[in-house]
Amino acid sequence: MSEERARVEAVMTAFLNEFAPYAGLNLSGASLDDVESKLREVAELKIRHTGKKSPISGAMNLVGKVAPNERAGFGQFVQSVQKDIAAKIDRVEKTLNEIITNAKIESERLDVTLPGRRPRTGHLHPITILRQKIEDIFVSMGYAIEDDREIETDHYNFDALNIPEGHPARESQDTFYTTQGFALRSQTSTVQIRAMERRGVPIRIIAPGKVFRRDTPDMTHVPMFHQIEGLCVDKGITMAHLKGTVTEWLKRLFGEDTVTRFRPSYFPFTEPSAEFDFSCFKCHGTGKFESDRCRPCKGSGWIELGGSGMVHPNVLRAVGVDPTVYSGFAFGFGLERMTALMYSIDDIRHMFENDVRFLEQFK
Amino acid sequence: MNISYNWLKDLIDTDMTADDVAAQLTRVGLAVEGIHPHHDDYVLDIDLTSNRPDCLSHLGVAREITAITNSQLRITNDKGQSLKTEGQTLVTIQDTDLCNRFTARIIRNVKIGPSPQWLVDRLEAIGERPINNVADITNFVMHEHGQPMHSFDLDRLSGGRIIVRKATAGEKITTLDEVERELDATMLAICDVEKPVAICGVIGGLDSSITDSTVNVLLEVAYFKRENIRATSRKLGLATEASYRFERGVDIENIIAASDRATQLICELAGGEADDFVDVYSNKFVANAVTSADISESVKRLTGLSVETGECVRILNALGITASDDNKSFTFPSWRHDIAIEEDLVEEVARHAGYENITNELPPAYGAGEYQRSEPRKKRLRETLADMGFDEAITYSFIDTRHDGVFENVPELLDEQVEDKYITLQDSVIDGALRMRPSILPGLLDAVRLNLNFQRRDLKLFEIGKVFAAHAGEDNLPNEREILTIGVTGGEISEGKAVIVRELDLYDAKGALEAALDAVGVSNADFTAAEVKHLRIGQTAAVWVDGSRVGYIGRLSDEIAAGYKFKQPVYVAEVDLQAILDIATIPIAYRPLSKYPAITRDVSLLGDRNVSFSAIRDAVTEQNFELCRKVSFVDVYEGKGLQENERSITIRLEYRSDERTLIEDEVEALHKEILAHLEQKLAIKPRF
Ligand SMILES: [Zn+2]
Repeated sequence: MSEERARVEAVMTAFLNEFAPYAGLNLSGASLDDVESKLREVAELKIRHTGKKSPISGAMNLVGKVAPNERAGFGQFVQSVQKDIAAKIDRVEKTLNEIITNAKIESERLDVTLPGRRPRTGHLHPITILRQKIEDIFVSMGYAIEDDREIETDHYNFDALNIPEGHPARESQDTFYTTQGFALRSQTSTVQIRAMERRGVPIRIIAPGKVFRRDTPDMTHVPMFHQIEGLCVDKGITMAHLKGTVTEWLKRLFGEDTVTRFRPSYFPFTEPSAEFDFSCFKCHGTGKFESDRCRPCKGSGWIELGGSGMVHPNVLRAVGVDPTVYSGFAFGFGLERMTALMYSIDDIRHMFENDVRFLEQFK
Repeated sequence: MNISYNWLKDLIDTDMTADDVAAQLTRVGLAVEGIHPHHDDYVLDIDLTSNRPDCLSHLGVAREITAITNSQLRITNDKGQSLKTEGQTLVTIQDTDLCNRFTARIIRNVKIGPSPQWLVDRLEAIGERPINNVADITNFVMHEHGQPMHSFDLDRLSGGRIIVRKATAGEKITTLDEVERELDATMLAICDVEKPVAICGVIGGLDSSITDSTVNVLLEVAYFKRENIRATSRKLGLATEASYRFERGVDIENIIAASDRATQLICELAGGEADDFVDVYSNKFVANAVTSADISESVKRLTGLSVETGECVRILNALGITASDDNKSFTFPSWRHDIAIEEDLVEEVARHAGYENITNELPPAYGAGEYQRSEPRKKRLRETLADMGFDEAITYSFIDTRHDGVFENVPELLDEQVEDKYITLQDSVIDGALRMRPSILPGLLDAVRLNLNFQRRDLKLFEIGKVFAAHAGEDNLPNEREILTIGVTGGEISEGKAVIVRELDLYDAKGALEAALDAVGVSNADFTAAEVKHLRIGQTAAVWVDGSRVGYIGRLSDEIAAGYKFKQPVYVAEVDLQAILDIATIPIAYRPLSKYPAITRDVSLLGDRNVSFSAIRDAVTEQNFELCRKVSFVDVYEGKGLQENERSITIRLEYRSDERTLIEDEVEALHKEILAHLEQKLAIKPRF
């Protein structure tokens, strides 16, 4: 049996000789091509040393030549050598495959910080954004949104609003006129009149829209801007409802801690009249922001927003509503001014220049 | 308006500080915008509303304070100055409608010189420049009593007397500001026997003014009709402290007090002697009254404030509004021109009772709120365009007249019945911008140019807004229509990437418009080749919805682009949004999902390049083969390997049955038949 065993050992030795270059393979710094060619060599080696025609498979024939009582032991010996060879090759193959896989993964590594593939999204105009926000608030408070003509008759722009001919507000050089004698509406109060004519009372409406005044454009003036006007007429409406309503929508827009202030004023279409201010959204009424004078409120803690009051009885009469039965409040303010304050925009003319660098700042 | 704190303290007893006074005045509606120290004084800058001319004086402001502090005014003028002359010839008023009251006081032997320091201080505190004692006194009394007045050099009045009359047209006067002014027949003038010596209520004449050598003075204190003064001031383009007060209304009953105050000061400070006094008061003031059944209840009804009748009466009385014994009738004083109805009384009570004491309440619950009918669809439209990279523009509604006729407008905007089709402003504040826009394009193209100038070359802009045109209706009210305009130029931007993905072309503009229309519920828009004057021939389409033309789309013509110095193509579209929103949206009609697979065939058709895709599609669908379900576009090819006038268009035909799985042979037969029809009708045939 020792002869057969020696032949098997010789097979093993021959294998080990051939395998030696791969046993302690050092592949650091090797290229992927090198590794792949090594893998191919190992694959050939595997075919030669593990296939049916391999020397170790041939050695299985020797089992019949040894003494019957030693056959089992010899067989086990041959099998263990066979396993050993296969294991050695598999180990190297596995290592090489791992190296190749890792190299492939490494070569396909992506820079996850590159920008995503995304078409540029556009931007709504800041006036649209604010208008939509305010409309949402008032619709949820039970108001209907209304708009109407931008070129109006004197009746709707003045007479029905208790601004008769000869009234200073009418003769002031604020209003644009067409050559046919129509006025570009100078306030959206015109919509109050048209809406009350259409819907009658009780009524709760909000009228956003463009208005026009003969102001030469400068940092704080533009000849066209947007106004939002509110109107509520019903039995038993008082100035308390005006204050409550204005305070409520400002709270919903700027936060629960917002407070308002009403100061006596004068408008032809309301009596009593009031201007309203609200506590600054930036400094929350303190007048200071990060220990500097707060910009939007100029350090006063208050932001002056608009005009308001109880609808003048002449306005109600103009649309056939009996002022002894019904009363109502109205209020109005400008969106450009409000937007300019909210974002500290120093030049209101930017609103109508449509510079994309301006527009794309609003979302 | 500037009010001196020290001066106020001459008129009322108060221990309030200047800050207190400012806060209280602001609270009752005389908004103090600032407090500025001046020597030992404080000056309050008050922003008065136009209805309160009675507060254009220290007396008026002091009166408000008495109502706040429940105190009394100190009377500043002595009684008994007035000496009336009988059968006078000094003053003649020809037009008593426009000059309701006129007083003249002769003061003799004055010495013109500088004013004493206290007077200089008072005037300088409120920003007035001292001139000489007589001029300063008239200015001082105006700021104290709110009554403008004018002093003449009596010896320079020809005939030594005054005639108040309308000017004759073309009559001239050189006024105190050394400007020669021409008067017209509507203007009221103070004249001597020869000529105008002052323009009533506006400004005095230079020739008759006080000089260093003046000895005898005629002091005029009068009341003129407000509307006439306003008109004269406007026509002359001249607003003065006097005209400002007269046109808002002064106190006709305070004229003698003011005249006496000035006379007394002139005698005291310029050494004069008071002589004749004439008061021509033809249209006597009649105090008006308003009734209020229950003033306390009215205050409650309109403001929610609870103010007892006694307090209401106290406030009104302090403001000069006197109550009848039963507190049901209230008489207005001569200085309040702004009170006419009960609501005015309510405001007076409420502002003094304090708006801050009105509670915050919400009106009782009411119906549900609602958006404008078209708003949800317009909101979707805006969002759709924004999602596609469009920024929303808002441009001015008035544009330059040089754009007239350059752009074709949305269909049916211009009324062919009227000669002057556009709406024009009488004047503008922006050079040339007299036209109410019939198109948004000029505004949007200006925005494109502005952005290009700032190196932003890749732009997608849209605007939704009204356009205007004349209309031959019953009332001639202009036609207003809401339209949508889009503009596209440059390349497709990828967020975060420095270079564009590709150049934009007509199909980007068209795709955006289709998406916008789809967003408002219109998915069946048609585009047909068209010619539109501001668009380039061959790259222009008319846009149709439900058989109506609603607008156009195309590439801006080379000529207009050159005018704007655009070096890259600009694609624009303008459609009548209002017409589109009026079209009923098609309700969703669900179709069951097919159980059977479709067979598709792509075919490249070679033919003349003017055979349009829509012609091919129509030629397929008009054959009405039930099994041919869909014709869609794959690609076009022109150029190498094809003739110059040729193109190859690849389309995909989809065949399917709802009842069975189709077999290849029947599809093949049908496909061949369809292709034969295309070849016969459009002279196009499969390329391969
Ligand atoms: Zn602030």
